[in-house]
Amino acid sequence: MSIILRLAWRNLWRHKRRTWLTVSAMVFSNVLLVFMISLQLGTYKMMIDNTLNAFSGHIQVQHHLYNDDPKIRYSIPEIIQLTGQLQHALGSDAVSARASAFALASSEQRSYGIQIIGVQPQSEFKVSTIPGLVKEGRYLSDPYAEEIVIGKVLARNLKVKVGDELTLLGSGRDGSFAAGIVKIAGIYESGLTDLDRGMVEMPLLYFQQLFVMENQGHAIVVNVPDLFEVNQWQQKIIQQIKVQPELLALNWMELQPGLLQAIQADMSSAWFMYGILIILVAFSVLNTQLMSVLERTREFGITMALGLKPGKLARLIILETGLMASLGLLLGCLIGFLITLYYQRYGFYYPGMEEMAIKFNLPDRMYPSASWLSVLFGPLIVYLFSMLATLYPALRLYFLRPVDAMRAA
Amino acid sequence: MQTPIKTITILAWRNLWRNYRRTFIMLAAITVGAWAMIFMTALMRGMVDEMIKDGIRSLPGHVQIHHPLYRDDPSITNSLSAPSKQLLTALKQDDVIAWSTRVRVPAVISSERDSRGIILVGIDPVAERSITNTADNISEGRFLTDKLDNGLVIGAALAKRLDTQPGKRVVVMSQDPDNEIADRGFRIVGLYQATIEAMEENTIYAARDTVQKLLKMGDQISEVVILGKDYRDVSTLTENIKSAAANDTEVLPWQELDTYLGTMLKVMDGFVFVWIVVIFLALSFGLANTLIMAVFERVREIGLMQALGMRPSGILYQFMLEAFFLLTIGLGIGNIAAVASIKPLESGIDLSVVAEGMAMMGAGSTLYPALYISDIILANIIVIILGLLTSLVPAWRASRYDPVEAITKT
Amino acid sequence: MTAISCKALCRTFQQGEVKITGLDQVTIDIDDGEFVCLSGPSGSGKTTLLNAMGGLDTPDSGQITVNSQRIDHLSKGEMADMRLHKIGFVFQAYNLIPVLTAQENIEFVMQVQGVPATKRHIKSLEVLKEVGLEGAADRLPSQLSGGQQQRVAVARAIVSKPTLILADEPTANLDTKTASQLMDLFVELNRHHKITFVISTHDQRIMTYARRLIKMQDGKIISDEKLSSAIQ
Repeated sequence: MSIILRLAWRNLWRHKRRTWLTVSAMVFSNVLLVFMISLQLGTYKMMIDNTLNAFSGHIQVQHHLYNDDPKIRYSIPEIIQLTGQLQHALGSDAVSARASAFALASSEQRSYGIQIIGVQPQSEFKVSTIPGLVKEGRYLSDPYAEEIVIGKVLARNLKVKVGDELTLLGSGRDGSFAAGIVKIAGIYESGLTDLDRGMVEMPLLYFQQLFVMENQGHAIVVNVPDLFEVNQWQQKIIQQIKVQPELLALNWMELQPGLLQAIQADMSSAWFMYGILIILVAFSVLNTQLMSVLERTREFGITMALGLKPGKLARLIILETGLMASLGLLLGCLIGFLITLYYQRYGFYYPGMEEMAIKFNLPDRMYPSASWLSVLFGPLIVYLFSMLATLYPALRLYFLRPVDAMRAA
Repeated sequence: MQTPIKTITILAWRNLWRNYRRTFIMLAAITVGAWAMIFMTALMRGMVDEMIKDGIRSLPGHVQIHHPLYRDDPSITNSLSAPSKQLLTALKQDDVIAWSTRVRVPAVISSERDSRGIILVGIDPVAERSITNTADNISEGRFLTDKLDNGLVIGAALAKRLDTQPGKRVVVMSQDPDNEIADRGFRIVGLYQATIEAMEENTIYAARDTVQKLLKMGDQISEVVILGKDYRDVSTLTENIKSAAANDTEVLPWQELDTYLGTMLKVMDGFVFVWIVVIFLALSFGLANTLIMAVFERVREIGLMQALGMRPSGILYQFMLEAFFLLTIGLGIGNIAAVASIKPLESGIDLSVVAEGMAMMGAGSTLYPALYISDIILANIIVIILGLLTSLVPAWRASRYDPVEAITKT
Repeated sequence: MTAISCKALCRTFQQGEVKITGLDQVTIDIDDGEFVCLSGPSGSGKTTLLNAMGGLDTPDSGQITVNSQRIDHLSKGEMADMRLHKIGFVFQAYNLIPVLTAQENIEFVMQVQGVPATKRHIKSLEVLKEVGLEGAADRLPSQLSGGQQQRVAVARAIVSKPTLILADEPTANLDTKTASQLMDLFVELNRHHKITFVISTHDQRIMTYARRLIKMQDGKIISDEKLSSAIQ
């Protein structure tokens, strides 16, 4: 250990209690930051995954007007062929075509307005969790069958069960009257009331026949294995659909702007809070280091009289803060990481969370996820601000005159 | 003999400014902390208040009466008879600001271009005016005029979806009590706007009697909505209505009608408390440090004062008072800064950049900070009490110094 | 009458692993109006004895009686009250509270005693005059010279008319001239106000003022003589 490092370390422990208190302030905010950032990132990932995996997928190919104005006539021609082409080009089977329309569904006793989605039964389960959520009956299988899968709440409201028939009334793509009778193949339960009450699925080929869509659909849904590869895949898809300028490939941020914005809004309020914590720690460091410089004025005067340059002394002070901040960083990251790990395993809960969780497609417990980023990011900023806070006391040393300093009490 | 307060006050006050740099840094920290507590709380309160106000407006009302099955199955078959005499008496009491009866059923609306599933609400336009503000947010055309109006008012966003506009005709389709499809052409007379777009897209208004006639439901209704005096305290109102309403009905306050909104209010109270305590904890290390340093520097004086006959309690109070001055000055400036920074924002902070995200949380895109006196008091009291508790340790240590050791300390 | 009576006082200190004898079976009586010097090399137990007499420190064993009141069993608070009303202290240095002016330092004791403000002002100005510092009432200790500071300390010690003043090396930080001025002041106060003085010192010149000289070594009294040749 170099002598200056040893000197800095010993100086720190001249006021044990003060040093520990300052380190504790750092540890306190670091632990909080590590846990909160890990929780945030974990929650965001879950929010994105749950929302995208449930239904919308990571990327969708649509008619360029459809996203802003989802009208039945803004459709994709030759959709099944294009889907096959994309599957081939992307080397993935998590590509599936859909169509969508509104209709009035009537059972013997009840009628409700619902959204009907035409899906490809063979590939839909690769892009959506709904097929896996069928609790009664089965999911769709025959691509031509005149059958339907509905949500649990809708089944209850329509007072129907698996095997019953529903009459659908709507309008086709050409504005004509669309009517059909379908058999209920299965009932799914996603836990999201809006979905369970308002959305049903049927085979795409039958959908096209019912709503006069003739090999057309509204979206080709693509699931990307890793969120970070979305842009890359989007580019590949754009290459494939270049020849059809009326088509667009939209990523999840464009499809679900609310999701990203909710995350942004949450992030900004969180960062406001983190910022305050970090500033308060910086004040703590400033206070400690200024005191430490002031009480050693005499000592510094003597060392300067002996020929030490103020720059060296300033470096000593900065080094002392660096050591203190490193201690805070180390302990903070460690404790924060352990706490995060515990909750990552057992989940984090606070009262009133279920109701909020449902709004964002989240389970009723949150699982923080510790990563290098989430553990180190906050504490590194605390470190940086601690070093900034020490600049004032360190710079004071440049204006110290040895004679005055030695005279100081 | 107890040391007079005046002596202690003078000593504490002058000692506070001896190391003015340290005092200023600590004051700055307390000020920032106090400002952040109140500022952030006001923003969050503002957001939740708006959410609740919007939520109550779209529910609408503070208390609603339904058929017990209606909420799970909002069908025309789960409707109520018109209010009984007994209920009407209860609705005339002072604690009811306004009330209205509505028909509210799922339906499908079709224009020439497209169709959508929506909620058809049959209202009494006159009574509705004092419950919701839809009438004030008409962007085009007019609102409904009376119970017999034949027009239809839809959201501006829905009009866009359906490619339609005021003056055009649309078809509304629903079921009657016998599950026969009932449909009828309506002329759109007005478009309204709402803070949350989803609401504009899924709710349409027609006159109550027109809807009752369309659905062949006589004078049956889906719900009675009641507006009380204060949304924070609806339990008495709920009880009064409950005892007057028919037995086979469900009377619920807004917190239970929309559990998300209900819990938001509680979660908010919890958040305010946790936020204040977290900020305080971040401050407490610096506070403890400052006092420990102050005690450390003044050991000799402490010994001297004890030698001269000041009791240990006098020393204790002196340091506690010094901490108290530090806390109150910091809090004072922080409070003023918070109020001064919130006042100019009270006309609303524009968050339209993240509007769709706010909508997901159930909030509008303009944030109106809400400064609650109770929150300010809570923040100040917590900081003072916890702050004095923190100072107790160094102050107590100071009072326990042995005068001989203290004086001889070099 | 006896002002202070000590019987078989013992006090040991622990310094690291070594036990140091501060007082070893010290028995002594000091009468009202005496002017006593405690002398001896440093570590001989002068200060320890003075602190025990003033109730700043509690002996391990033995009895101390001040104005016929036993003080060796008092609580911290009662000790504080005893010091407040009966004893004046003058220390070697750091005698004054830095944030208070000279006058406020003098009033401090009276304030703690609960003396009304007007009376305090009059009395504090009186004693300031007595010690020759009329013009320095509003100065802070840092604005006073060492000799002035000690005189303020003396003024504070006498202001509440104690029967006993204990001074621990009061002249150690003063030059010869200032030191003898301070001693003259002590002698005058002893004569006019009949205040008993116990002064610890190892300064030969100071001892010449004493009417009774007690020499200590290793915590024991090795000689106790009345002097008639004192400068009085």
